[in-house]
Amino acid sequence: MDWFDSWALSLAVFIPVVGALVILAIPKAREYQIKVVGLVASIAALIVGIGILSRWNWDDGGYQFEVNKGWLSAIRSNYHIALDGISLPLFILTLVIVVLCIIYSWNHWPEPRSPKMLLFLILLLETGMLGTFVSLDLILFFVFFEVTLLPMYFIIGIWGGEQRIYASIKFFLFTLFGSAFMLVGFLALFFLSEPHTFDIVELSANGGAAAAVISSTAGLWIFAGLFLGFAIKVPMFPLHTWLPDAHTQAPTVGSVILAAILLKLGTYGFVRIALPILPQAAHSWAPWIGLLAVIGIIYGSLCCLAQTDLKRLIAFSSVGHMGFVMLGIATLTPVGINAAIFGMIAHGVVTGMLFFVAGSIHERYHTRDMSRLGGMLSSIPRMGGVFVLVAFASLGLPALAGFPGEFTSMLASFEPAGGLSQSLFRGFMIAAAVGTVLTAGYMLYMLQRVAQGEVPGEYAGHHLHDIEAPEYVSWTPLIVLTVALGIFPSLVFNVTNSSVVPMFEQIFHHAIGG
Amino acid sequence: MLIADAIAAPPSDWWAIAPQLVLGGTAVVIILMICVKRVDPGWNALVAAVGTVASGVFAWEQWRQVTTDANPRLAYSGMIAVDGFSAFLVLVVCVAAFLGVLLADQYFKREGIDRGEYYALLLFSACGMQFMAAANNLVMVFVALELLSICLYVLSAWNRDDSRSQEAGAKYLLLGAYSSAILLFGIALLYGGTGTTNLARMAEIFSENVTREPGLVLLGMVFVIVGLGFKIAAVPFHMWTPDVYQGAPTPVVGFMASGAKIAGFAGLFRVLETGLAAFEFDWQPLLVGLAIVTMLGGSILAIAQRDVKRMLAYSSIAHAGFILTGLASGTAAGVRGALFYLVAYVFMIAGAFGVVALLARRGERYTSLDDYRDMFRREPVLATVLAFFLFAMAGIPGTSGFVAKFAVFTGVADAHQWVLLTVGTVASVISAYFYLRLVVYMYMRPEVDEGEAQPAALPRVRWAPATVVALVLTVFFTIQLGILPQGLLDMAGKATLLF
Amino acid sequence: MKLNLFLTLSAFLFCLGVYGMLARRNAVMILMSIELMLNAININLVAFGALHGNLTGQIFAFFVIAVAAAEVGIGLAIVLLIYRNRASVNVDDVDLMKG
Repeated sequence: MDWFDSWALSLAVFIPVVGALVILAIPKAREYQIKVVGLVASIAALIVGIGILSRWNWDDGGYQFEVNKGWLSAIRSNYHIALDGISLPLFILTLVIVVLCIIYSWNHWPEPRSPKMLLFLILLLETGMLGTFVSLDLILFFVFFEVTLLPMYFIIGIWGGEQRIYASIKFFLFTLFGSAFMLVGFLALFFLSEPHTFDIVELSANGGAAAAVISSTAGLWIFAGLFLGFAIKVPMFPLHTWLPDAHTQAPTVGSVILAAILLKLGTYGFVRIALPILPQAAHSWAPWIGLLAVIGIIYGSLCCLAQTDLKRLIAFSSVGHMGFVMLGIATLTPVGINAAIFGMIAHGVVTGMLFFVAGSIHERYHTRDMSRLGGMLSSIPRMGGVFVLVAFASLGLPALAGFPGEFTSMLASFEPAGGLSQSLFRGFMIAAAVGTVLTAGYMLYMLQRVAQGEVPGEYAGHHLHDIEAPEYVSWTPLIVLTVALGIFPSLVFNVTNSSVVPMFEQIFHHAIGG
Repeated sequence: MLIADAIAAPPSDWWAIAPQLVLGGTAVVIILMICVKRVDPGWNALVAAVGTVASGVFAWEQWRQVTTDANPRLAYSGMIAVDGFSAFLVLVVCVAAFLGVLLADQYFKREGIDRGEYYALLLFSACGMQFMAAANNLVMVFVALELLSICLYVLSAWNRDDSRSQEAGAKYLLLGAYSSAILLFGIALLYGGTGTTNLARMAEIFSENVTREPGLVLLGMVFVIVGLGFKIAAVPFHMWTPDVYQGAPTPVVGFMASGAKIAGFAGLFRVLETGLAAFEFDWQPLLVGLAIVTMLGGSILAIAQRDVKRMLAYSSIAHAGFILTGLASGTAAGVRGALFYLVAYVFMIAGAFGVVALLARRGERYTSLDDYRDMFRREPVLATVLAFFLFAMAGIPGTSGFVAKFAVFTGVADAHQWVLLTVGTVASVISAYFYLRLVVYMYMRPEVDEGEAQPAALPRVRWAPATVVALVLTVFFTIQLGILPQGLLDMAGKATLLF
Repeated sequence: MKLNLFLTLSAFLFCLGVYGMLARRNAVMILMSIELMLNAININLVAFGALHGNLTGQIFAFFVIAVAAAEVGIGLAIVLLIYRNRASVNVDDVDLMKG
């Protein structure tokens, strides 16, 4: 199976784009064939992913399935890809979510109806996302990171709601603006590090030794550039304003992919690139990152309380949840990073699911205005039940997926990395705890308005469909994951910990020194 | 002293100017064809296309010899340089001319102004561009520049019954002649300061004694930069560009935007890097400033445009700024990036104007943003191709535009010019906005707002084979240079090394 | 020194040309201004040629004269075209495109 070890990642990454090209070649009228090709391509990529899981060495925290080939030798950038415990869960999540999105769309396509184009864009997007998670070269990373931009832009701009053009341009420009500074940071890293290299592994080896020759001022500036690029994607307060618009306007599958995976590119960038390469700069910036994260938690929750639009509420809840992830990262401890990665996965599963349900609710009621919704539990009890379960997971109920990540993240900020102010981070912890209470508050308020009570009079004569077959198929895995991750958090923690601990040993021993 | 002794005829070195001779010769053949018997101008186009390919073959052979045997040389008493730089750019001019010929035929037939002379003028102009790329003497720079410019003046006014085209021709001519005079004044001062117009000789003089008449030389340098700044449309010498690009026939614009820019940059690179290399610390800050205002100016002014051709004109100004950035970095990597950028730019701009020419319909009536509403539904293929070029120009990864910008910025980072680098990346984000807006119109805006009457449907655009070939070529190379740019980057690297 | 006289004359003529180019609104006058600029440069070239004692300047001046003739030829043709269309050679009237 040697060929599999060297080809698996490339296959998984590029099968979707091949599928996309095949779709392009099929005439628009043959809708069924288009759908089948799209589904087959995404499932084929998932099967490769399962193959990777089956051959995964669970005890090894290093890079596996590594490929390192020359690509642009003129600018010393290589096609260097691999997975480790940090990226594996995100990689698999991406594969799963895309398949589920295509299944979910099977019978209801957003207007203007064009399965061909939507599937083409989703598959292109999948390649971009998978590529970002496997890249170990800054330029390769940047290319894939940017490739995700276009399909999402089109998905929002073509199938979005009333304000779609505004939302899509805002999404595009915000991200592009951030990545411009990220690119400056990458170039500065290359030319200031010794030896000159774009290779993430080389740059982060021995606690960022290659970049250690960079003066601390320059390091701070470079980190600031990377921070802008990643923080806009996360999104962190105050750079989050594109997110509610994008989420509210995007069609259901767009929202799901955006929430479940695209936001993770930013946090993943912090864990994979910013921290290991520039640990000292990260150390200096950590209190500010923690502060912004906590503001994001509180601010996101407060905004949620004020929302009337269901999707907008979920979008703001994302700002809060990603705040917990960033808080975990800001502690600069193995516990915090583990919590962050768990938080990413949990947020991907739970919020993705929330957007699925919100999309289905919109389809039934033709509105997302919560004052006009209600009575889901009595009129469409099964969907109402699912919604309640996922909402509880999102508010962090123990034994569901939302809890372990956020709890561990707060735990980590009780004891941040050496040199960081303990009292400050404990203050963050308390603020975050207040945030969880607020989260519980708005989630319950939302449930009260949407799920409980009577069906509003305007829907009296209508028959509201309960969950349909494609929804069953696409939701079941996510519901199972929601429960499973809550009861067995070690499913993810074991994988991530094996890679996080060695990474931190390097950072601590070489750079921060204790 | 007998005149005959003083002016000995230089030995002929036909091989050194073979590409130029082929292009000029083909132009003469076309004129003769017209004199003998007027046939369908499609035949003239065919001859012109063959001529550009033949010229390209010679240029390639020159390139191969120069790079493998590494023997750059001067010919015709130092008038012509045969080195990697010249062979590379001569080749690029061939590409631009080839695309210009391919895109012209269908357009001029549609407009009812298809005359064979067009191709002769286009080839003469390309010939001037090639001489510009190979010029090693300021006399040569001037004459080549005039050859290409005068042909372009005529081409701009080619649609002589269309008042916009006339206006474009007049404005281009007046400002072009003005800029030529400024350039010439600079050349005269450089000659006065050094006593020679030979760039290689000039560099020798400076290396022997830098302080000889520095005032004249510096003044001349500024005038030369200003004069060539007009030709490459750098802000603040760009004011002719939007009017000319909007008014001139679109295929002419596609050729002019790529070819004239190549020639202008060739002259600028050659004069500064060869002749005035000793004054690098003087011209570099000038170029940095010029690059910054050009990138920002082009990108910001483009946002206000409602006409697609005009918007692309400002976009080409912004591109000039990015290319200047490479030269301003003063590093080999930057110049390599700039050369790569020129090639990527030729394909992008020719392709984009090619699509715009098709969509504009007869009489170039439909070029405003509103005419592009919902284009994806009406012309899915053309809209997608245009969107692709727009994204390439915005520098989205996976296209040549990204690699080009990246290669240029690499040079800037190499020189540790962080301010220039940051301004450049921010300008590229600003420029993304107006490319994006056109995409929004094509894909996301309904054809009419609610309540308005539906306009009469236009007939579908018809495709001529030559147009298809040109668009396929431009799309292919824009992707190919975006994913596997290594080959061209290596070539561009060799083209800079042999200065 | 004599050279300075020539240079001053040339600079004066050149500036006159630039002024005409910017101030005149008649296209034919603008073309003449350009001619003036080019001829100022010719004086420069010949003067510098004499200074350095080589022929380059004089030969260059011949090239400039030839090129200027071609330029004006084309220029007058285009101006004539505009005149036929609008019965005016005032450049302020040539303003279809703005922005």
